[in-house]
Amino acid sequence: MKGAIAFALLSALFATPAAAQGGDAKAELVKLKPKDFPTGPIEYTVVYPAGGGMDVTARLLAKYVEKWSGDKIIVNNRTGGAGMVGHAYLATQAKPDGYTVGVLANLMWGDAMLRAQGRWAYTDLEPIGYLNSDPLIWVGPTDGPYKGMSVKQIVQIAKDKPNTVRAATVPGSMWDYILDQVEANSGAKFLRVPFQGGGAGINALAGGNVDIAQGFFSEFRGLADAGKVAPLGVAAPERLSFLKDTPTMNEALGGNEYQWIIIRFAVVPKGTPADRKVYLGAAVQAAMRDPELVAEYLKAGVYFDPKLTDPSRMEASLKAYAEAEREFYQKTGRLK
Amino acid sequence: MFERALNIFWILLGGAAAAYAWTLGLVGSSGPDSGLFPFISALIVMGAGVVLLLRSPVEAVAPDFPRGAALARVLGVAAGLAFMAVSIPYLGFAVAGFVTMIILLRAVEKSGWVFSISLAFISVVVVVWLFGRVLGMTLPRGPWGW
Amino acid sequence: MDAIGGLLTGFGVILTPENLYLCFLGSLIGTLVGVLPGVGPLAALALLLPITFTLTPVGGMVMLASIFYGAMYGGSTTSILLNIPGEAASVVTCLDGHQMAKQGRAGAALGIAAIGSFVAGTLGVIVMTFFAPAIAAVAIRFGPPENFAVMVLGVICTLYMIAGSLVKGVLMVALGFLTAAIGIDVVNGRERFTFGSIDLSAGVELLAVVIGLFGVTEVLNNVERIVKSTIVTDRIRGLWPTLADWRASWRPMLRGSGLGFFLGLVPGGGPVTASFMSYALERRISGHPERFGKGAIEGVAGPESANNAAVAGSIIPVLSLGIPGNPVTALLLGALVIHGIQPGPLFITQRPDLFWGIVASMYVGNVFLLLLNLPLVGLWAQLLRIPYRVLFPIVLLLSVVGTYSANKNVFDLWVMLGFGLLGYVLHKLEYDLAPFVIALVLAPLLEQSLRQSLAMSSDGAMIFLQRPGTALMLTACAVLVALMFRRAKKS
Repeated sequence: MKGAIAFALLSALFATPAAAQGGDAKAELVKLKPKDFPTGPIEYTVVYPAGGGMDVTARLLAKYVEKWSGDKIIVNNRTGGAGMVGHAYLATQAKPDGYTVGVLANLMWGDAMLRAQGRWAYTDLEPIGYLNSDPLIWVGPTDGPYKGMSVKQIVQIAKDKPNTVRAATVPGSMWDYILDQVEANSGAKFLRVPFQGGGAGINALAGGNVDIAQGFFSEFRGLADAGKVAPLGVAAPERLSFLKDTPTMNEALGGNEYQWIIIRFAVVPKGTPADRKVYLGAAVQAAMRDPELVAEYLKAGVYFDPKLTDPSRMEASLKAYAEAEREFYQKTGRLK
Repeated sequence: MFERALNIFWILLGGAAAAYAWTLGLVGSSGPDSGLFPFISALIVMGAGVVLLLRSPVEAVAPDFPRGAALARVLGVAAGLAFMAVSIPYLGFAVAGFVTMIILLRAVEKSGWVFSISLAFISVVVVVWLFGRVLGMTLPRGPWGW
Repeated sequence: MDAIGGLLTGFGVILTPENLYLCFLGSLIGTLVGVLPGVGPLAALALLLPITFTLTPVGGMVMLASIFYGAMYGGSTTSILLNIPGEAASVVTCLDGHQMAKQGRAGAALGIAAIGSFVAGTLGVIVMTFFAPAIAAVAIRFGPPENFAVMVLGVICTLYMIAGSLVKGVLMVALGFLTAAIGIDVVNGRERFTFGSIDLSAGVELLAVVIGLFGVTEVLNNVERIVKSTIVTDRIRGLWPTLADWRASWRPMLRGSGLGFFLGLVPGGGPVTASFMSYALERRISGHPERFGKGAIEGVAGPESANNAAVAGSIIPVLSLGIPGNPVTALLLGALVIHGIQPGPLFITQRPDLFWGIVASMYVGNVFLLLLNLPLVGLWAQLLRIPYRVLFPIVLLLSVVGTYSANKNVFDLWVMLGFGLLGYVLHKLEYDLAPFVIALVLAPLLEQSLRQSLAMSSDGAMIFLQRPGTALMLTACAVLVALMFRRAKKS
C-alpha cells in the first residue's frame, strides 16, 4: 500500500513543475537549439508495429515534443525480427546527424547481447530521455478450472501436474525468463505456448486457449474491465497504484528476483553531435514534464521509475540495469 | 537446355537448403523445431526437380528466350532498375529516378530527347510530390537536399 | 441497446457535415492508396495517424476505417490495368483481371470489382450490425488449432489453383514455403537462412516479391515484344459489365463475401488470405476451370468481394473485444488508445456513440466508394490507350516507390528486381507463379499455428481431433485432397 501511494505521489510530483513553467520550458529549448538544426522533420523510429504499445507511446511523445519544441516529428515504424531489424538499423545504419531518434525499450539490450553477433552493442545507442516503465503482469482466467486462483496456487498445480498448465510466452525474452525463474525456484513445469507478443497470449487466455498469460497493463485492461481476465501478479518492486489489490510476484511467490519491467526510453545513434543530442534530449524532457502527457501515460498503466526520472542519473542507472541483465544472461548460461 | 539447367538448379537448391535445415534441428522437445518445415519443403523442391529432370527429354519445349534487340530491351529494363537500387542512397530518389527514366525511355523504347527529359521530369516531380506531400512519406534525398 | 437502436444512434453520429466529410476524405485517400502500387492501407494509416490527433475520436476513427476498406476498392485498379498489385490483397485480381484488360474488357473488370466490393462491404457491415457480439464470442475462442486448420485449407485450395503441370506447381508451393522460412523463427526466436545479414533477418518483404513477380515481370514480358504499342490490342469493348458478366458474377460475389467475412475473423487471416482462397474456391467450383487465368470474370468478382468482406470481419474483433487480428486493425486499436479510449468488450456499452458511429460510417463509406470508383472506370480504362513506351517507365517508377515504401530499405528493391527476373524466366519455362506467392503468405501462419498447437497440447497431434471446429475443417481438407487425387487419376 505504501509503495503504491509513493508511486502515485512521485508521478504527481514529477508532473507539477511544468504547469508553472510553461513559457520557461519553451524558452529553454530555444536557447539550446543548435544553429541550422533542424532544417527538416526529425524521425522518431519505432521498432515495433504501428498501433502497438511502443508505437502509441512514441506517437504521444512525438505529439508533445512537437508542442514544446515546434519541430516537426515523423514517427516511422521499422519493424521485423521482433525489433531486431529496427535496433540494428539504429545502431549501424542510421545517420548520427540528429535527425534520427529511436524510441525503444530495454528489450534492445537482449538483442544487443544475445543476437547481434558482434555487429553492434547497446552502447552504440545513447539514451537521451526516459519515458516510462511498464512491468510484466501475470494474468489469469476468469473462467474454467483455474479461475479465481492465485499465482501461488497455479504454480503449485504446475508443480503437481507438470506439463498441464499452458502458459503463453514470447520466446527469447523476459516472458521466458520469468517462467524459467519460477520453474527453477518451485520445481513447477509449465507447458509453454509461444506467441509473437504479450497481447496475443492474453487474447488466447481470454479464449480459453491457454491457462495463464503475461503482458502489460495496456494490453489486457479492456478485457480485465469486462471481467474476461484477471491480473494475478506484478513483476515490479512494488504494487501499482491502479492495481492495488494485485500482489507483486515477489509477494506472491516469496523472493525478490521476480522483477521484469519494460523500460522505455529515447536514444540517438552514437556519434550524434553533442549539441544536437542535448537539444533532442531536452525536447524529450520538456514533453515528459507536460502534465497532459504524464496523464496519458498513466492511463496506459505505466509508472515512473525514480532512478530514471532524474536526467542526471538516467544514463548511469540505465547502464546499471543493462549490466544487471548481462549478468542474468551469464548466470543462466545464455551468454558465455 | 535451359529446362535441364533449371531442374538441376532446383535439385541443388533443394539439397543445399535441406542440408542447412538439418543443422537447425528437425524435432524439438514439443514438436517440430526450426528446421523441420524448411527441410520438408527443400526435399519437395529437390524431388520435384528430379521428376522434372527425368521427364524433360520427352516433354521439353524450347522456351523462346529473346534475342538481339528484344534481349537488349529486357536487359535494359533490368539494368535500369539495378541502377536505381544502387544509386538511390547516393543520388536520392529524385535524381536517380530522373536519370533512370531517361535511360529507359531513350535506350529501351527510342523516344526523343525532349520527350524523354520532359516526361522523366514531370513523372519524378509528381511522384515525389504525391508521396512526399500528400502521403507524408519522405523519399531518400540526394546530396543536394532533394 | 439493440441493433436497430444502435444503428440509429450511429447514423445520428455520422450524419454531420464534419463526419461525412471525413468519411469521404478517408474513402478518397483509401482509393488512392489502393491504386498506388505498394503503398497499402497500413502505410497510409500509419502516416495519417497524427492527423487524427486534431479530430474528434469519432471523426478520426471514421476516417481511418474508411481508408482501410477504401484501399480494397482501389487495389484492383492497377492489378487489372497493369498487372501490378495495388497491394497484397489484390494480387489474385491480376491473374484474370489483367487478362480481361488485354482483351479490351478492362471496363467490365473494373466495374465488377467495384460492385463486388460494394456488395461485400455492405453485406459485411449488415452482419456486423446484427451479430457482432455473438460472432465476437465465437471468434475469441479461435486458437492455434483452428488457425492451423484454416491455413491447411488455404494450402489445399492453392494446390487446386495450379494451372498446368502439377509437379511444377507443387515445386512452386514448396519454394514459397522455403522462402517464407527466411528470417526469424517466431516460435523460438532463432534466425533461419539469414546468413548473418540484417536485411534478411526480417524475412523477404512480401510486397517486394509481388511487385517484382507480377509488375516487373509483366513489364519485362511486354518490352520484349516490339509489335504492341499499347497494352490493349483489341478494341476497348464497352465500359460496363454485360448481362452475361452479371450472371457469371453474382454468385462469386456472394460466395466471396461469405468466405471473406469468415476469414477476416481468423487471426492472421484478413483480406490477403481471403482473396486467395476465394480465387481458389471459384476455380474449384467452376464448370470450366480452364478459363481461369485467361480472363474469367469470376476470378475478379470473387476475390474482390472477399477482400472487402474480410475488412468487416476483421473489424469485429477490434470493436467487440479489443483484439486485433492483423497489423491494420492493430493500428486502428492504437488510434483508439491514443484518443484515450479503451477498446475491449465494454467498448460497445461505454461508448455506443463511437461503436455505432463507426459501424454506420461503414455503410456510408461503401456508398461513397461505389460512387467514387464507378465513374472512374472510364477514366482508368483510358489509361490503357497510353502508348506503352510512355507507360512502362512510369510503371517502373511507381513500382520502385511502392516497394521502397514498405520498409524504407533499398534492399527490397533488389528483392523486387531479383523476383522480377526470376518470374520472367520461370514464366518462359511455363511455371505458374501464383502458388508461390500464396504459399509465401500462408506458410508462416501455418507453421506457427501448427507448432503452437502442438506446444499447447498434452496429447500431441490429438489436439486437432479434440476440438470440434478444427476436426471439421481438417476432415473437409482430407475430402478435398481425395477428390483432387480422383480427378487427377481420371485425366
